[in-house]
Amino acid sequence: MTGRGRLAAALLAAACVSFAAAGPARAADSKPRLQALEPGAPPPWTPGYQPLDKDEKGLWMEADEAERTLKASNFVVHDEALNAYIRSVLCRTVGDDRCHAARIYVIRTPFMNASMAPNGMMQVWTGLLLRVRDEAQLAAVLGHEFGHFEHRDTLRLFRDLKSKTSAMAWLSFLPYGVGLIAQFAVIGGAFEFNRDMERDADIEGLRFMTRGGYSPRAAPTVWTQFRAEQDATAVARQQKSRKDRNGGFFATHPNSAERVQYLTHAAQGIPNPPTRFGETEYRAAMASWWAPLIDDQIKLNDFGGTEFLLQSLAGGTWTPELLYARGELYRARGAPGDFDKAAGFYRQALDLGSTLPELRRGLGLALIRAGNAEDGRKAIKDYLAMKPDAVDSKMMAMLAGGE
Amino acid sequence: MLRRLVALAAAGALLIGAPATAQIGSHKDAAKSGFTFPAAGPVKILVFRPDVQVGSQTAGGMNEPNADWTATARKQLTEALARAQQARSNELVMMPELEGEQGALLNDYRSLFRAVASAVIQHKLFVGNRLPTKKAEFNWTLGPGASKLAEIGGGDYGLFIFSNDSYGSAGRKAVQMVGFLFGVPVQVGVHTGYAGLVDLHTGELVWINADMRMGGDVREADGADKRIRELLNGFPARAGAAPPPTQASAAK
Repeated sequence: MTGRGRLAAALLAAACVSFAAAGPARAADSKPRLQALEPGAPPPWTPGYQPLDKDEKGLWMEADEAERTLKASNFVVHDEALNAYIRSVLCRTVGDDRCHAARIYVIRTPFMNASMAPNGMMQVWTGLLLRVRDEAQLAAVLGHEFGHFEHRDTLRLFRDLKSKTSAMAWLSFLPYGVGLIAQFAVIGGAFEFNRDMERDADIEGLRFMTRGGYSPRAAPTVWTQFRAEQDATAVARQQKSRKDRNGGFFATHPNSAERVQYLTHAAQGIPNPPTRFGETEYRAAMASWWAPLIDDQIKLNDFGGTEFLLQSLAGGTWTPELLYARGELYRARGAPGDFDKAAGFYRQALDLGSTLPELRRGLGLALIRAGNAEDGRKAIKDYLAMKPDAVDSKMMAMLAGGE
Repeated sequence: MLRRLVALAAAGALLIGAPATAQIGSHKDAAKSGFTFPAAGPVKILVFRPDVQVGSQTAGGMNEPNADWTATARKQLTEALARAQQARSNELVMMPELEGEQGALLNDYRSLFRAVASAVIQHKLFVGNRLPTKKAEFNWTLGPGASKLAEIGGGDYGLFIFSNDSYGSAGRKAVQMVGFLFGVPVQVGVHTGYAGLVDLHTGELVWINADMRMGGDVREADGADKRIRELLNGFPARAGAAPPPTQASAAK
């Protein structure tokens, strides 16, 4: 009913602090920049915590309303094993006393993000799960989001915005453009406040993951990988990489290069850091999800980025599932030579002994497009024999010659 | 949302001083041509949880959500709606809170109604953006699948209600006064709402009403009665009956 983009926009509109996006570089250290909000107040993860004042109650109400809608959304992934796994990583990261306060929703959308609302509604997007390589990287993101929750960042930002936009209203009456210039200074301040909050949350995430026994080196890697993917996307599209173009003055998050720099610096400063990455565990937990998530990714029409992701996931060892995905990617692009390459990938997967029926469909369609109609039709017939009740069986039967 | 919140707040505050948009006809209703309820027999209307938001508008024009006001307004509006429909001899059924698959279905139809209603509001009700193909007729539908809602909740028609208020704070009023001295129009308060009625047997939208400047303080019983009266402007009548009294279209 709604497109992915619409969903993404709607989800972003819910009252949460998100993880991705970026801004101008600036020297950074690992000390919190912002004052704590009402020192002495109980942290929001305390059992039975209720919002303290009118502002916080209002923000919770909005988040509760958003959660009512999100809960019933078709985009929520209900796979119990996957949800339990993500919860276990969060609990290991922030501790059992804290993690119960978060309600995790895994959202099926191919973009890389996670977010946390002031009432404890945490969203983890599947595009993030496709991109992080191990448990430690996931822990870095979950810890970052929990840091926003613990420090009630939505409330802090709300108050900052309220005072700054009110100041802007008054400044608008100053004549001769003076007011306008002053207004821009105030807007810049609001975005800078947001970026400072994100830096603090990054460092808080680093602390959480280290305490939970994960290697802090994984935190900057999330961003180096993402930057490399942006480069790959740009090369395939013959554009300049967007990795350093992230809003400038209006950026809500620090630039990813800056995040790599200060996270690396902070991680190096941790004495005797834990060494656990949990790559094997992560792969095992995600095993049944690679295929559908890669399928979502292929539909983004981002050839370079997707090829980069597949290469990284394979790490030199191409499994039949990854070969199938690569075949689908090349077949979808359909540039000269792509159909032959796609057919090659499907065949490699078949040679590895895979019995996935869709391999034969892909092979058949690629062969037909490459001009080898006879073998193509035969492969499609094999597909139909293996999966007679496939949703696309009628269309495929027509392509196969209908016999 | 932070990204959007920051951008919206900044844009909203900057807009002070820009010429106010002309409000040509701030409210309007439309109905399927010739539609009436049957002259006799019960008319059962399934009511979905009213979508209500009440807050205050800061000096800079941001909405500050208020949980207490919102809860009060939802209760007051629901009660006022019951009073209004009783006066029309229509029977109201409240849609219960749903979980699981039924909850997802209801969520789908709420979203679909919002999408259809915003298309009607944008392309039919108000001047400026009307679609040539929709000028003469009133034909919008949620599709026959909407009958599943009737199976779950019971009722022949489904009523959706939206109400959004942001009461101007003292600071906002002060900005308006200074703006007045400088000859700059500053709007105080946001009071918008819309309501729509769907035939749950066919899925057809039979009536809709939208108002960009609503009256009535939704935090009080009397105000809620007034708001519901305005929201139900042009609401279908029984066949053969004189249309129920509604405010005159140009009264505001």
